[in-house]
Amino acid sequence: MAKKMCWVIILVTLAVNVVMLHFTIEAYFGLEYNHVFGNTIFALISSIIALISYFYWRRLEYSNEK
Amino acid sequence: MSEKNKLSRNQKDTSDDMVNLVDNIDRQNDLKFNRRSFLKTAVAASVTLGVATLPFSIKAMLNDGDEEPVKVKIGKLSEVGKGESINFNYPTDQEPAILVHTKEGNLKAYNNKCTHLQCPVFYEKEQDVLLCPCHRGFFDVNNGHPVAGPPQRELPLIELELLDDVIYAVGRKIRHG
Repeated sequence: MAKKMCWVIILVTLAVNVVMLHFTIEAYFGLEYNHVFGNTIFALISSIIALISYFYWRRLEYSNEK
Repeated sequence: MSEKNKLSRNQKDTSDDMVNLVDNIDRQNDLKFNRRSFLKTAVAASVTLGVATLPFSIKAMLNDGDEEPVKVKIGKLSEVGKGESINFNYPTDQEPAILVHTKEGNLKAYNNKCTHLQCPVFYEKEQDVLLCPCHRGFFDVNNGHPVAGPPQRELPLIELELLDDVIYAVGRKIRHG
C-alpha cells in the first residue's frame, strides 16, 4: 500500500510540475514576477516531495526482494 | 563463405530461420522498459520540470519588472480617422504596437504581437476586432482580450494621453483584468 501511495504522490507531483512550469512561463511573460517566484517555490517543493517519495519507494521495493 | 553464414543457429544475427521467431524478444528491452524504470523516469521528469522553473525566477530576479514609464509620441489624432489604425513601437523599438481609432471614436492601443505565436495583429474594421491572420485569433478591440481562436492571454494595453491633437503613449499594462 505504501508503495502505491509513492506512485500516486510521484504522478501527482509530475502533474503539478507540468502546470507550474506552464504558469511560471505565463507569469514571466506577463511580467508578474511575484507569481514567478511563487510558482518556482511550489515547483521546487513538489520536486523535493517527488524525490523523497522515490527514495522511500526504492527502499521498500528493493528491500522486499528475495 | 561470408561471415554471416558462419554464425551458428540461435545466435544473434544468424541467417538461420528459427532464430527469427524470437527476434522480437529482447532481454535488454525487458530490463530497460519496466515498471521500475517508468517510475524512475516519472521522478526524473517531475524534478526536471520543477527545476526548469528556476531560470525564469533568476531572470525575473535580475530584472525587477518595473518598467519606467516612457512617453512616446504616436501621431496626430486628425491623421487617424475613425475605423483606422496606425502602427508604432512602444516602449522600445523592438516592440511593435497598434493604435486603433474605433468606429465609436475611442482610442485604443496594444502591443500587436499575438499572444499565441507572436504574429502581428491587424485591425479588422468591418468586424471591429483585432485579427491575427496566422491562426485566426481574434481580440476585442475595446479591451484587448481574446475572443476567438488559439490566443489565451490579452494583448498588452498601452495607456494613451491626448494633448493638443497629439497622441502619446505613456505607459503599458501587460495584464489588465
